[in-house]
Amino acid sequence: MNDTQLDANPAPSDARPKKPRKTSFTKALNDALDLGMDRFDEMFLIGEDIAEMGGDFGVTRKLWAKYGAERVRDTPLSEAAIIGTCVGAAMVGMRPVAEIMFADFLGECYDQIVNNAAKVRYMFDGQFSAPLVIRTACGGGFGGGPHHSQSVEGWFLNVPGIVIVAPSNPADAKGLLLASIESDDPVLFLEHKALYRARSDVPDGYYTTPLGKAAVARTGTDLTVVATMRMVPMALTAAEELEAEGVSVEVIDLRTIRPYDAETLLESVAKTGRAVVANEAPKIGGLGAELSARIHEECFSELSAPVGRVDGLDAPIPFSVPLEHEVLPDETDIATAIRATMEASR
Amino acid sequence: MEREQLLDLYRDMWLIRAFEQGLEAEFEQGNVPGMLHTGLGQEATQAALANNLKASDAFFPDHRCHGLNALAQQRHKGDGERIMAELFAKSTGVCGGKGGSLHSADPSVGNFGDNAVEGSYLVTVLGVALAAKMRGESRVACAVLGDGTVGRGEFHESLNMAAIWDLPVFYACVNNGYAIATPVGEGHASADIVDLARGYGFPCEQVDGNDIVASHDAVAKAIGHIRAGKGPYFLEFKTWRWQGIFAGEFRPEAEVKYWREDHDPILMTDELLIDRGVDADELAAIEQQQHALIAEWIAFAKESPPPDLVKATADVYAQWEVGGR
Ligand SMILES: Cc1ncc(C[n+]2csc(CCOP(=O)(O)OP(=O)(O)O)c2C)c(N)n1
Ligand SMILES: [Mg+2]
Repeated sequence: MNDTQLDANPAPSDARPKKPRKTSFTKALNDALDLGMDRFDEMFLIGEDIAEMGGDFGVTRKLWAKYGAERVRDTPLSEAAIIGTCVGAAMVGMRPVAEIMFADFLGECYDQIVNNAAKVRYMFDGQFSAPLVIRTACGGGFGGGPHHSQSVEGWFLNVPGIVIVAPSNPADAKGLLLASIESDDPVLFLEHKALYRARSDVPDGYYTTPLGKAAVARTGTDLTVVATMRMVPMALTAAEELEAEGVSVEVIDLRTIRPYDAETLLESVAKTGRAVVANEAPKIGGLGAELSARIHEECFSELSAPVGRVDGLDAPIPFSVPLEHEVLPDETDIATAIRATMEASR
Repeated sequence: MEREQLLDLYRDMWLIRAFEQGLEAEFEQGNVPGMLHTGLGQEATQAALANNLKASDAFFPDHRCHGLNALAQQRHKGDGERIMAELFAKSTGVCGGKGGSLHSADPSVGNFGDNAVEGSYLVTVLGVALAAKMRGESRVACAVLGDGTVGRGEFHESLNMAAIWDLPVFYACVNNGYAIATPVGEGHASADIVDLARGYGFPCEQVDGNDIVASHDAVAKAIGHIRAGKGPYFLEFKTWRWQGIFAGEFRPEAEVKYWREDHDPILMTDELLIDRGVDADELAAIEQQQHALIAEWIAFAKESPPPDLVKATADVYAQWEVGGR
């Protein structure tokens, strides 16, 4: 397995280099699915309007034409049946990859994920596995409103048996998706909608990026920001801003949220002595709370300031764009938290 | 039906009854952990299923299917005692004591395990059926569902998807009249569940689930249809469970009398066999043999060691170890 490097400076969309044209997040996912379908006879795709139409976000585009309707299956609006089908098929050795159009709809199949996918191996004493992948579009920032914008990792964080993968850039998205397809554990694969159009260099051909391993997206010496998905490019922007103020920021991209790579994270915090946890979801009971608690537990003596927190407000995501901006955190909030943590240092 | 076949089914029904009666007695003495739901009264339904499903099929048992599970284990591997041991939470159980009464599975005999979230496997069964279809296998994927689970949205998602994809799913609906204490006709738009299934366009039949001959033949017909590649099949067994609710009996006296005395599956089969010249002593001997076998299984379960504590964190993930305390 070869690890991939994070593109530390993704080109802003308005200043894309003409040549070489980099690969979009969507295309990287599409390539991964294509390579997986080609390699694994037992793999199939299932979801709403993923076949001829290629999915709401175009991630499965052209795969129906290439692999046929048996292996690229459209379904009715039946999320529980989609995931139930995946679990049952996975229990007999298939490798299904489902698309749940929006992560907000995971409630419709929550039981299958939490009570079956996550537990068939354990409760039946290792007699079954559930090698399935659930791809889903999550996150806010595009006016989707309360039911098309949520960050759902917290809904699943407390569920042993589930793997939660959350890429921040195209190269990782491809390698992590192929690793998820290879995984014998069930994977919830989160695709942040605001990243679909992000572009970066993506290696050609089949490769995997290991699950459960974080990436150091930027090295620094004064403070560690730990982030996932869209918060990673935002953290990198904030880090650039702080560099100009003489603060050297390290950015850890968790990449896998469950089980997360505590080793890389804690090593970094032990080195810098300060941490900011950046998280799009509401503050209470989510990934940010878990990471902050863990850092305090394990790095207390190395910390020169309490862990800083950047989170969504404790509210649903409203439709109005200015209200949505108010609820969701951004690079300015991260920069502010970094400054506050630096100032609070002993 | 041939006399010998009927006798075999009779033995199986007694195995189920002896299993549940033995278990119930142990439960009352506090020897069986957790909750107890028995299949007493539903022996014909379960024996009919067990005698028609192959080890290469896949069935999802419901919470009253100890008997079906034990029969599958006994017929295909000769180790029915491992179902008993599982209910006693022992390391020798089919799931090493981690599943218990509501999650006993052994795929090598076709048992894909129960869900204590009642009816969840109504959609899981679709995937087993789809995989069989995609691979060209003749496997029948069977969900044993109580009348109560018909209230789940998954019931309709499942029947619809099985219909549009023509999947080899066998819905074995055990209508015993109640979900806990809610009568089937109050919980659903029809007391006949087939009425709710018919709109999906595949065969939906009803059978007297206490009549072993009729049940056996109805199951054989359903499975024949599915194996012939003709798609899903829905069969509703009209039956009745002895077990009431937690605090005893709540059903009308006449109803209890009808099902326990006039329409008991074993008593009905006694009559059939005696009509065919089987000696009453032979029937009594079968009853005794099955009770003796179950006594052995209970002894095995009680003597077996509990699971090793390292199992508490085993098999959470395939690719990572989870730390202990
Ligand atoms: C989803 C879900 N809801 C509620 C329960 C609690 N519960 C356990 S058994 C039961 C009744 C089931 O009735 P039925 O399917 O008719 O089976 P029966 O016990 O009559 O055989 C209920 C409501 C449950 N286990 N799962
Ligand atoms: Mg019932």
